[in-house]
Amino acid sequence: MAESTYTDRETQLVIFKLGREDYGISILQVQEIKRIMDITRVPNSPDYIKGVINLRGSVLPVIDLKKRLRLPPADYTEDTRIIIVKVEEIVVGLIVDAVSEVTTLSSENIEPPNTVVGGVSAEYLSGVGKQDGNLLILLNLAAIVGVGAEAGKTG
Amino acid sequence: MELNQYLGMFLEESREHLQTLNKCLLSLENDPRNLSVLDEIFRSAHTIKGMSATMGFTAIAELTHEMENVLDLLRKGQLKASPAIIDTLFKCLDTLEQSVESIASNSEATVDIKPLAAKLAKLAAGNGAEEPVPAAVEKKAAAPVSATSSGIVLNDTEIEVIRAANRQGYAAYEVQVALREGCLLKSARAYMVMNALDELGDVIKSVPPAEDLEKENFDHSFTVVALSDAEPEKVQHTLLAISEIETATVLPLAIPDAATSAAPVSQQAVAAVSAPEPAEKRRDAELPVARPEAPAAADAPAMADKKLRGGQSVRVDIEKLDTLLNLVGELVINKTRLEQIGLSHRLTDLTETIEQMDRVTTDLQAVVMKVRMVPVGQVFNRFPRMVRDLSRDLSKEVNLIIQGEETELDRTVIDEIGDPLVHLLRNAIDHGIESPAEREAKGKNPVGEIRLIARHEGNNVIIMVEDDGAGVNPEIVKQKALEKGMITQAEAEKMDAAEAVRLLFLPGFSTARVVTDVSGRGVGMDAVKTKIESLGGMVDVETKVNEGSRFKIRLPLTLAIIQALLVKVCEEIYAIPLGSIDSTINITPGDIKTIQNQEVILLRGQIIPIVRLGKVLGVSHAGNEDAEELYVVIVHMGDQKAGVIVDTLIGQQEIVIKSLGKLLASIKVLAGATILGDGRVALILDVGSLMQ
Repeated sequence: MAESTYTDRETQLVIFKLGREDYGISILQVQEIKRIMDITRVPNSPDYIKGVINLRGSVLPVIDLKKRLRLPPADYTEDTRIIIVKVEEIVVGLIVDAVSEVTTLSSENIEPPNTVVGGVSAEYLSGVGKQDGNLLILLNLAAIVGVGAEAGKTG
Repeated sequence: MELNQYLGMFLEESREHLQTLNKCLLSLENDPRNLSVLDEIFRSAHTIKGMSATMGFTAIAELTHEMENVLDLLRKGQLKASPAIIDTLFKCLDTLEQSVESIASNSEATVDIKPLAAKLAKLAAGNGAEEPVPAAVEKKAAAPVSATSSGIVLNDTEIEVIRAANRQGYAAYEVQVALREGCLLKSARAYMVMNALDELGDVIKSVPPAEDLEKENFDHSFTVVALSDAEPEKVQHTLLAISEIETATVLPLAIPDAATSAAPVSQQAVAAVSAPEPAEKRRDAELPVARPEAPAAADAPAMADKKLRGGQSVRVDIEKLDTLLNLVGELVINKTRLEQIGLSHRLTDLTETIEQMDRVTTDLQAVVMKVRMVPVGQVFNRFPRMVRDLSRDLSKEVNLIIQGEETELDRTVIDEIGDPLVHLLRNAIDHGIESPAEREAKGKNPVGEIRLIARHEGNNVIIMVEDDGAGVNPEIVKQKALEKGMITQAEAEKMDAAEAVRLLFLPGFSTARVVTDVSGRGVGMDAVKTKIESLGGMVDVETKVNEGSRFKIRLPLTLAIIQALLVKVCEEIYAIPLGSIDSTINITPGDIKTIQNQEVILLRGQIIPIVRLGKVLGVSHAGNEDAEELYVVIVHMGDQKAGVIVDTLIGQQEIVIKSLGKLLASIKVLAGATILGDGRVALILDVGSLMQ
């Protein structure tokens, strides 16, 4: 499922930063991008779940993406954003350091993931994109959210 | 044509009409002479036929067409509503239901309608002619058709309606309306006339039919038969007040009394100038061919109905209502933010405006909640048929009485309550009501009675299933529970009758059917109880041997909103459902004792275990441990109690329950979340798991 998202001839990606790396997810999975807001901690939840937010009346879990990918933490800044994504009927927020742009990538510029890219292990990756000499780490959202991990891998 | 977008509407309306058919067929079975029910059946069948033909579901259209033929004969009295016919009609209904559901589930399997259609055709053609019912013949001879001065032909039903109205002091009028030459929007004028007449009474027929009037399929005049308690002059006056009406003639329409209705009399009675020949001709034309005329006649009331309903209600997808509710919630939250801005910047104008807004949003919220309420009749409607079928299968006679169908419940509860009720009703018929012979031997009416009652009681809705059957013997239940090892001898001895009967709800009872032979009620009762409790409700039973049983279900009005106590632990706010709170008390740290490493307090002689909420929730505490005064919320789950230590009590509040979603569903201590006035999310504690 997640892989097929990137195998169309051209894919539109939302590009964001985690630390110094550029990451991308398909724009089709993105519902909106919010500034950081009040997050209510949820006791006894996995550590990468930052808590829940109120998005126009519905309660959504928010994942600290850096923690999920086991990247070094950083403080929130003016640029910190929550990207609201929908993965297999589950809507969640992802906290990222900054959202930079929306870009279009053709499928020949996307390569399958190696074992580790930018410190992120392959289970959370769906590919690596090349654009003007830069590398884009494409994420497998299903695996990150923790649903349909199998479906995410087999496409 | 893009039909898909209409499919949902088709399904929903078909289901609704099938419900109506079910209901009406049942009342026809009880009272085969009831012509108004027949009319309604005809109308529903006709609507289904029309809709399915438009949608291209030919099988359904064909079957309903055949049904119409039979129904028409019934309506004319040429066929009697015998059990055989009613059974066949019920079978048709089942087949239609199947067909509709297979369309709904998008399955390829088509339901074979041929045998039924053939059977119907045989009923319509063969049986009808072979064994004409004497009563019907008599009626036919009497006056199946009446003609008015302008040649309006009234059928039996319409005459019956007029007679009934006459008895209630309504007069029937034949109203001839002519529009001015060159009148634009003729249909609009006709509509206004109809409306005016509707206000004065009831329109029962029009020539041309209402449909043609709406489509402007008429010259400059039309004739209407209307019932009204107003004087003819007044009716005329009202109609002439409508612009572009040239003339309006209102003639009283006399209908011979049923008792004296013989053909010649009726001819006399209908207005004098009637030219007998055309009337005769019409009659001849109508009787044998019947069909083309009949749907048109059936259309008129159907149209009137539609108009009425169209003005009163709109069908809305429940998801849209959920969205609406969320948006209103968001509005309330933003209003609170504005309030805070107004306060911190001391903007008096803003604060005043917000006060206005506050009232509007509160009302808005209340309205949206109300919109989600649905009459419980939606669920109840399917039971008469089920009771009929089941009592037949078991050769018992049961009279189902339904009360309070109009009681309203939240849609979410309505969807869930059906299954438990089916269970209770089945049990009442299967184990409660005795066989007619048994009942007679006991000196009871051989026909058993089951009552299904709904009513409001404070913030709850009560639904009861009562029967006047055998009842449950608490001693036998106790015995069975003992045998199964569910209770001990000592416990059994302590138990009173009411407690013993409640053993029926224990899971162990459901798996074994043993209890059935002692008129027990064991089958699946625990499932009923679990379901009701998951809806935030309670179920209880009262029973008397040989007098009957009563199962009483208490449900909250809505699942979405509950009363809760907001508490603070450190800086975090949590909500505890008020339903599981006993009381709140203050204690000092010295009041806390330990028994086997478990902290407890003594409250009115009872030992109550203590739960430190901060610890359970993993909140890092800074010094609060040594507070001189501790706030304890005493919660209960069943008979168990516990004291929950919190930092601060904020207060009682109505909260809207939101799901935490799939991702967080597995977190035990939480039952959901809610959104506070300032837009922040507060979590709702699950008292049950807190106590474990």
